[in-house]
Amino acid sequence: MRVLLADDAVLLREGLVRLLTEQGHEVVAVVGDGPSLVSSALSLRPDVSIVDVRMPPTHTDEGLRAAVSIRHAWPGAPILVLSQYVEVSYADDLLADRRGAVGYLLKDRVADIAEFSDALHRVAAGGTVLDPEVVAQLLVRRRAHDPLAALTPREREVLTLMAEGRSNTAIARTLVITEGAVEKHVANIFAKLSLPPDEDTNRRVLAVLTFLRG
Amino acid sequence: MTTIADRPAATATRHRWLVQLGVDSAYVLVGLPLGSIAFALVLAGLAAGVALLPAFLAGIPVLAGTAYLARGLAEAERTRLASVLRRPRVGVFYPHSRPDATPLRRLFTPFTDVQYWLDALHALVRFPVNLVTASVVVVWWLITLGGLTYVLWDWTLPQEPGGGIPPGMIVVNDVPLVEVFGLANTFGNRVLVNTAIGAVFAVTLPFVVRLCALLEAWLAHAMLNGVAGLRDQVALLTRDRDAAQAQTAAAVSAEAVALRRLERDIHDGPQQRLVRIAVDLGRARQQLASDPEAAARTVDEALAQTREALDELRTLSRGIAPPILTDRGLAAAVAALAARATVPVHVGISADLPRLTPLAEQTAYFTIAEALANVAKHSGATRAAVVVELHDDRLVATITDDGRGGAHVAKGHGLAGLTDRLQAVGGELWISSPPGGPTSIRAEIPHPLAGAGDGGGTTATVRPGPSA
Repeated sequence: MRVLLADDAVLLREGLVRLLTEQGHEVVAVVGDGPSLVSSALSLRPDVSIVDVRMPPTHTDEGLRAAVSIRHAWPGAPILVLSQYVEVSYADDLLADRRGAVGYLLKDRVADIAEFSDALHRVAAGGTVLDPEVVAQLLVRRRAHDPLAALTPREREVLTLMAEGRSNTAIARTLVITEGAVEKHVANIFAKLSLPPDEDTNRRVLAVLTFLRG
Repeated sequence: MTTIADRPAATATRHRWLVQLGVDSAYVLVGLPLGSIAFALVLAGLAAGVALLPAFLAGIPVLAGTAYLARGLAEAERTRLASVLRRPRVGVFYPHSRPDATPLRRLFTPFTDVQYWLDALHALVRFPVNLVTASVVVVWWLITLGGLTYVLWDWTLPQEPGGGIPPGMIVVNDVPLVEVFGLANTFGNRVLVNTAIGAVFAVTLPFVVRLCALLEAWLAHAMLNGVAGLRDQVALLTRDRDAAQAQTAAAVSAEAVALRRLERDIHDGPQQRLVRIAVDLGRARQQLASDPEAAARTVDEALAQTREALDELRTLSRGIAPPILTDRGLAAAVAALAARATVPVHVGISADLPRLTPLAEQTAYFTIAEALANVAKHSGATRAAVVVELHDDRLVATITDDGRGGAHVAKGHGLAGLTDRLQAVGGELWISSPPGGPTSIRAEIPHPLAGAGDGGGTTATVRPGPSA
C-alpha cells in the first residue's frame, strides 16, 4: 500500500517508516505539520494516511482538523489517526461524515504489529476502526439510562468488538467461537437495542456507534 | 410637552425639594442649640482640664472626659450629616485600649488619637459658623412667612391718618417701605410690596437654606470624617495586600504539593517500568542464543510493561494539563470527565461557553475532577451532576451528588487541595455536605476571558469542518 505519514516526532516517525517498509508498504511522503499533510494527501492520494493528532503549528488537535479538511475535499479519504490520548469527542469529529475509511487508535497499539497492520488494511478498505479505549468510554457513557443492561456479558463483548469496527470473522476469531454463533449474538443485540439489522459491516459499525453516542 | 409618564417624576422632584428644604432647615436650626451646648461644654472642659493640669491626676480625667464628650457630639453630628450630604453615614473607627491596659493607660487612649482632637476642635469651630448660618436661615424664613402673610396682619399695625410713621412699621431712612418704591402708603400698596418681598425670599429660600446647611455640613464632614476616610482607605489597601499575599502563598503551596506528588508518581510508575523493560530486554538478548522461546516470552513481558508505562504517563499528563481541555475547552473536557466517571454524571454546561484563560479553565477542570473523584471514592452516590455557569465576572462550578454526605476539606478527602487551588487564583470554595447527604460543592473562579490576556482561545475559534 502507498502510505502517507504525518507526525512531527522524528523518533516515532523513523520507527513507523521502518515498520511500514518491513511490512511491505511504500511510504510515499513524510510530513510534520497540518497544512503540508492536507496538501500532500490531496496531491498524492495515498491508499491510507497515518496521522498524529498533535502537530504544529497549533500543537493541539491539528492532525484531526487536517483529517477533517482532507475528507471535506476528498470524501472518504482513508485516514488512520494516532494519538497519545483518545477522547470520544475527537472520534465524533472523524465519524461525523459517516463515510467509513477512518481509524482512531492509541499510539501504543502500533506495538502489536499484527493488530496495527490489520487496522491499516481495514481503514484502507473503507472500514471503521475505533480504539477499545474509545469504545469503553462510549459504553460507560450510556449507563445513565441503560438499554445495555439487557445484554448478556457475551453480547456485550460482541457489541464492544463491533463498535471497534471488527467483522464477524474477526469477532469469531477473537472470542474463539464460530461465525454462526457471532451472527446469532449480533441478531440478538440488534433486536434488544431496536436497531435495524444490516449485513454490511461498515454500516453496522456506524449504526452501533450512532446508538452508543446517542 | 409633558407626557403622563413624566408627571410622577416631576411631582417627585418637587416633593424632594420640599423635603430637602425641611431637612436643611432642621439641620441648621437644631445645630444652633446643639452647637452652643457643644461649644460651652467642650470649651469649659478644655479650660478646666488645662487649668487642673498642674494637679496632674485631676486634669487628665477632665480632659479625657471632654474628649469622650466631644466624640459623642461628633457621633451625633455624623448621623445628622447624612441626610444633608445625601450620602450614607460614615462609620468612624476609634482606637480601643488593649484589653490588658491599666485604667491609667485607658485614660490616655483618647490623647493618642487625632480624631478625638478633631472632634473637640470641631465643637469649638462650628459655633461661630452655626451662629451665622442659623441667623441667615431664621431671617430668611421670617421674611418669607411674614411677607406672604402680610395681608392677614396689616390691621395690627396702627396707621397714622396723616400718613406719619406708626411705631413698628418697616422704614428705610425714616421713609415707610412702600414709599421707598415710590408708592402711596395705602393698604393695597403695602400688601403688594410686602407680599412681593415675601415671594422673592420664598423663591430664594431653598437655595439659601441649602447653602447654609452645606457650609455647616461640609465643615463637619471635613473635620469629622476626613481622617476616617483616609483610615478606611488604608484599611482597605491593607486588606487587599493581605489577600494578595495569602493568594500567593496558596499558589506556592498548591504548586509545591502538586510537584511533589508528580515526582513521586513518576518515580513509582513509569520510571520503575522503564527500568524493568531494560532488564527484560537485557535478559531477552542473552536468552536469544540459548532459548529463543524464552526470549520471545521475555520480550512479550517487556511489551506489556511498555503499555503499562504509557498508560501511567497518560494518566500523569491528564493530571497536569489534560489535552482535551487545552484543545477544546472546558465543556468538552468536563464531558469527557463525566464519561469516565464511575457513576452517571449529568453535565450542565452551555456549548457556547467561551474560552477562558488557561488558568481559569484548569482550575475549574481540576476542581470538578477532584470533586468527581471524591464522589467515586467516598460518597456512595448513585448519580452526580456538574453545572458550570458564567456569572458577571466569575465562573461558577457546582458539583452535587446524592451520596451520604460528610465531605470536608480537612478530612484528607482530596478536597483539601482544592481550597488552596482556588485561593491561588483568587477564587472561593463552598462545601455543603451534611451527614446523610446530599453533597454540594461550589467553586467560584474569577474569569478574565481568554484573548484579553493570552491567546488561549485561538484553537476554538478556527475549527473547520463538522463537530459533534
